[in-house]
Amino acid sequence: MTTGAPLLALEQVEVTYHRVITAVQGVTLKVARGQIVALLGTNGAGKTTTLRAISGFLGLDDARVTEGAVAYRGERIENRPPHEITARGIVLVPERDKVFPNLSVAENLVANVPRGAPRADLAYELFPKLAELRGREAGYLSGGERQMLALGAAIACGPELLLVDELSLGLAPVVVQDLAKRLQEIRDRLGITILLVEQNAPVALGIADWGYVMENGRVVLDGDAARLGAHQDIREFYLGQSSGERRSYREVKQYRRSRRWYG
Amino acid sequence: MRGAVAAQPRGNHRRGLSIQLAVNIAVLASIYALIGCGYVLIYRTSRVLNLAHGELMMVAAYLLLATASLFSGHPLAAFAASALLGLVVGAAVYLVLMRKMTGERVLAAVLATVALGILLRGIVVLVWSAQQQYPGQALGWSNPALALPGGARISAAAAALVLTTAAAYAGLFAFLRYTRWGIRMRAAGQNPLLAAQRGIRLHGVYALAWGLSTFTGGLAGMLIALDAGLEQTMVVIGLKAFPAALVGGLDSLVGAIAGALIVAAAEVLLIHYVNPLLADVVPFLVLIAMLLARPWGLFGTREELDRV
Repeated sequence: MTTGAPLLALEQVEVTYHRVITAVQGVTLKVARGQIVALLGTNGAGKTTTLRAISGFLGLDDARVTEGAVAYRGERIENRPPHEITARGIVLVPERDKVFPNLSVAENLVANVPRGAPRADLAYELFPKLAELRGREAGYLSGGERQMLALGAAIACGPELLLVDELSLGLAPVVVQDLAKRLQEIRDRLGITILLVEQNAPVALGIADWGYVMENGRVVLDGDAARLGAHQDIREFYLGQSSGERRSYREVKQYRRSRRWYG
Repeated sequence: MRGAVAAQPRGNHRRGLSIQLAVNIAVLASIYALIGCGYVLIYRTSRVLNLAHGELMMVAAYLLLATASLFSGHPLAAFAASALLGLVVGAAVYLVLMRKMTGERVLAAVLATVALGILLRGIVVLVWSAQQQYPGQALGWSNPALALPGGARISAAAAALVLTTAAAYAGLFAFLRYTRWGIRMRAAGQNPLLAAQRGIRLHGVYALAWGLSTFTGGLAGMLIALDAGLEQTMVVIGLKAFPAALVGGLDSLVGAIAGALIVAAAEVLLIHYVNPLLADVVPFLVLIAMLLARPWGLFGTREELDRV
């Protein structure tokens, strides 16, 4: 803890599923207050497991934090129940099933148990489109609208730390750009710290202050978001580019596969 | 129900008879709907089939005997106290027993409710004996028969049942649609994980569902007991309401009303025109027919069907 006490600190965290399968190992990461931190990695790298370790959702899959510590504002929170973690001010926007499909938009925003005063208005302020869709059932929203509602409902919970799992998944680039801007606005205007898990490195590094890269359940790289964006490996793996010329997806995949085989 | 049947006029002309049949259907449908909404409430919030619902309803009815001696001379106070006790008993059953089943397989939870039912039946016999009891007498209430237009008759308790069912459903609809806790209950039923992420305490919501379920079931149980006396066979009425809830689709309150009407109409008409001995079989015949044709029920959610 060199830069003062961070808001969230994971220290050598290990998560084990079904008592035998180790999903992440020795994960250490810090999120300072007021920052947007990106957690990058491919499918199966352990990003979502790490988020679940923070938000208390491991127990449902018969998984536990078996080593290390998750500290929030200096207090240990690993293996605590989800509603307690929400009450402490950490709110997760999950990757899938992020809204209640049979509830209207307005009902989605009031269903939560906020810390302090209800803040449904704030969601409408950040996402004016939601106000127009107030009476519509959430199951009929488009992917982008659904993500807005999920973010709005999370904000209405009054979080201090927002965990966002795959902001860009399945959304059009224009929508993703817009949502990324809203995340910045959420941080700048409301002072909410954000931990963003993404496969889409350019989007994440574009708005983040700091980035971590996970591979096979470990953090393999971390650094200033701008510097990470310029890093050779990142450019090759996640941005699909290599020294000026664009690589095709197939070439990158091939390269990654050979790297995995030959170390 | 027996009271309503007993009130049937003998040897009246056809029109009077059909009105009386309609009244009987309405009363029986109210019974099934009021009991059935308890199955629906618990199923739709926690996906658990509460097979002890009949027993819990019976316990609430027996509690009326206890409150009757406590509030002698104030039948309404005794009734209200017993209904509220039902609410507490339901919530307590969840908090003490069913809470431990959360996260277990649904089948395990359902089996736990079966065990609970057997246990409750034993407790009732131990505490109140197996003899038929008359809470109406204990309350000093005579349950007069009321005359309806067209020569039909209905007992006061049966009339109260119809009105209570209407009020209970109106209340439940308003609660689920307009109150914060009602919306949370619907949210938890749709996606418990997300509900917990949004800070909703699932145990609180589930306990509330169990409490409300036993409250409405208890209302039905008490009014039936006032109409026709109270003994262990009340459990059968609770069980007969289950097909009504299932025919409508287990996760739909509107469905419970529709299912109750269908089952009650089939039962009353078959009793009248075919054979009174069929009474206990009819709901389950309707149930089997429904399961073959449309297993998710009339208003149920198709993709959420989970055959246990």
